[in-house]
Order: sequence, then C-alpha cells, then structure tokens
Amino acid sequence: MARIRNDYENSWWPRLLRWLETGSSALDDRMEEEMEATHEGHLLPSPEEIAAQEAKREERIQRKLSDELALYTHAHQWSRTKGAKLADWAYRILAVVICLAIIFLLLQTASFLPSFGSPDNPAHNEVSRRYIEKGMEETGAVNIVAGMILDYRAFDTLGESNVLFVAACSVLILLRLSSDKKDLSSVHQLEMEADDRMYEPKNDIILQKVSTLLVPIILLYGVYGVMNGHISPGGGFSGGAVMGAGLILYLNAFGFKKAQRFFTFPVFQAVSACALTFYALSKAYSFFTGANHLPSFISPGTPGNLFSAGLIPYLNIAVGLVVCCTMYAFYTHFRKGDM
Amino acid sequence: MLDIIRFSLSALCTLAGLFVLLSGIVGTFRFKYSLSRIHAGALFDTAGIVLMLLGVIIAWGFTLTSLKMLIIIGLLWLASPVSSHLIGRMEITINDELEKDMMVLDNEMVRHEKEGD
Repeated sequence: MARIRNDYENSWWPRLLRWLETGSSALDDRMEEEMEATHEGHLLPSPEEIAAQEAKREERIQRKLSDELALYTHAHQWSRTKGAKLADWAYRILAVVICLAIIFLLLQTASFLPSFGSPDNPAHNEVSRRYIEKGMEETGAVNIVAGMILDYRAFDTLGESNVLFVAACSVLILLRLSSDKKDLSSVHQLEMEADDRMYEPKNDIILQKVSTLLVPIILLYGVYGVMNGHISPGGGFSGGAVMGAGLILYLNAFGFKKAQRFFTFPVFQAVSACALTFYALSKAYSFFTGANHLPSFISPGTPGNLFSAGLIPYLNIAVGLVVCCTMYAFYTHFRKGDM
Repeated sequence: MLDIIRFSLSALCTLAGLFVLLSGIVGTFRFKYSLSRIHAGALFDTAGIVLMLLGVIIAWGFTLTSLKMLIIIGLLWLASPVSSHLIGRMEITINDELEKDMMVLDNEMVRHEKEGD
C-alpha cells in the first residue's frame, strides 16, 4: 500500500520541478520566513528603549576601555620595572651561559685537533710536500703561493675572479643610474644624488696636495705587487686592491670629471672582459696541452726573473686588473650610481 | 753599557707608545663628541705608531727592515692626519648643532671680534 501523500507540494518530485524552473533553494525560503517574521512580529523599539540600550552599550565600552587601560598600565609598569629587571637578569645569565657553552664547545673541539706542527698531521700529505719540493721547479715561481693559486689551482682562481666580476655586474644592475634614459625616476634619483653630494667637502687643498704625492706611489706599489707576484709576496688580488685604492683616492681628491678622463664605463667593461677572457683562454690552452701531454710554448724559465714562471705573471696582471676595476666600480656606483 | 742604554731607550719608546695607544683607545670610546673622538683616534696613527716603531728600530738596529718601518711612518704621517681632517670637515659641514655640542672658533668670527675690539 502506497503511502498517503497529504503534502504533495513538498514531496521531492515537485520540489525538483520547482528547483529546475526557478532555481530557488530551501535556504531562500527560510530567509524569507525570518524576514517576514521580523516585519510582522516586532514593532520598532521606542526612543527610550533605544536610549537605554545606547547608554548600556556606552557603559560597557567604557568599562572595557578602563579594564584594558588598567591591564595595559599594569603590563607597562611591569615591563618598565620588574620585567626590565627580569629581562636584564635573563640577558646577563643567558649571555654568560651561551658564552661558556661556546667556549666549552670550541675547547672541546680544539682538544681533538692534531698537535700543531707534528709531521703526522693530515695536512702534511703528499700534495703539500709536492708543492714545497717541486713547486719552484715545475711552475718557475719563487713564491710558492703564486705557483699554487695560478698554476696548480688556476681553475680556482679563475672562479674567484669571475665571482668578483659577477659581483660587480650585480652592483651595476642594482645601482647604475641610466643617465641617457631621461625617465622620471632616474632624473629624480640623480637630483637626490646631487643633493647628497652637496655637503661633501670639495676641492680640499690638503687632500689634493697629499694625494698628488701619494697616488703615484700607491699606484706604483700596486703595479710592483702585481708584477712581482711570482717572485715575492703579493700577487694579483693584493696588488689590484692597492691599485684600486689609489684610483679611489685620486677620485676623492680631484673629482669625477678628472677621473673620467681615463676611467669611464667603457674602459671598465673592456678591461674586465679582456682580462677575464685572456685568463680563461690562456689557462684553457695550458690545461689542454698539459692534460694531453702535448708540447706547449709555455716554459717555467729561470726562477727569479721578472718574466719567468710561464703564464703566472700575465695571469697575475689579468687578476690585478679585474680586482682594480671591480673595486673602483664598486666605489663609484655606491657613491654616485655612475662612473 | 751601550746595550743598556739602547735597551732602556727602546723600552722607554715602547712604553710611551703603549701609553699613547691606550689613551687613544680610551678617548675614542669615551669622549662625547665626534670631533674629540677624531682627535683621540688620530693619536694611534701618528704618535702611537711612531713611538712603537721607533722602539723596535732602536732595539734591532738600523737595517733594511727599519728603513721600511721609516717609510711606513712617513706614509702614515701623510695619510692619517689628512683622513682625520676630512672626517672633521665633514662633521663640521653636516652637524647643525655643532655650536651646542662644543665651542667652535670660526676664523671669520675671530677676525670679526678682533676688528670689533
């Protein structure tokens, strides 16, 4: 026997039909009902009631605010007096504890190290022995360090020079102001830079006199360090840094206009790229011939001569030029955003 | 006898240099205003270095190394006062409240006062 349907309108089939026709849902119906109820059931509250409610609300807000203020002042006072003392103590105790822990750890580590200078140390293996015994003979460099970094491990040094070059490139990307493109932001930036440099002391007579004396000496010393890198301590990195410092001193004393006579952005580009390319190509040649046991025209020469030790002096010059240009470019771009 | 004189001279120089370096450190960290701090910091590179290196030169005698030390002294005496001068000039240029911090004798001001007298 079928169930008797006394509520046909709300059974599922007509509801489906209705939904298909109108797209309304059960939720809409309920919303409607509630709205109708408010419309019909409740009257608008009287003004007295509204005023009472408002006063209640105001009072509640005031109470909450004063509670909050009291809490805040309490916390503030606590943090100023007791909390500050506590934090101070905790800071001191923690500082001492952390220091002691680090000291303990480092001492513990140091106690496991092999004793200083003992011949059984792992650092004294056949590699360093060979560097010391045959370094001068094989590379022709009196300065064993130069022989190591520019001959045995020249690949490493090429990477280091490239790191410098990449750093200079990123500084250029970030800080270079394009003066040819006159869009608004760069003009604004240039004006800001001019403002910033307005206060800087210019044409300082003391600095100029001293730098006329010092700049040639510093540059010569840098060139000496680069050229004698394979004979005495020094080399491309330190000599190049000295040359860059000399250039920066010249720039500070005499201004951008005079420095731009010999060192502009194209010069920087050309010198860096040429030096790195020369380094890479010459080392590729020497690696290729050395690895394949081919004869090469690079010979160690007489150790101690200025032009000896194969490629090392030329590689030193290349590294020195890259370092010098990079330092100068860093300085000018951080200061002015241009060269 | 000569050795004793030499040793005492070098010890005197080194101790004086140490005293100058110590006072320079204290001054650099404890002075209140930047110009005073520059003054204290400039002591290192001039008086302190000279006294220390002189002590070493006297102790070891005159060799090629001591010649290099003399060159270092010359370089520092050229470079360090100039850098202090530049920092001081920058400070005077950009510090608006310089007169509040310390008494500054401007050359122009002094001349005006003399003319006023």
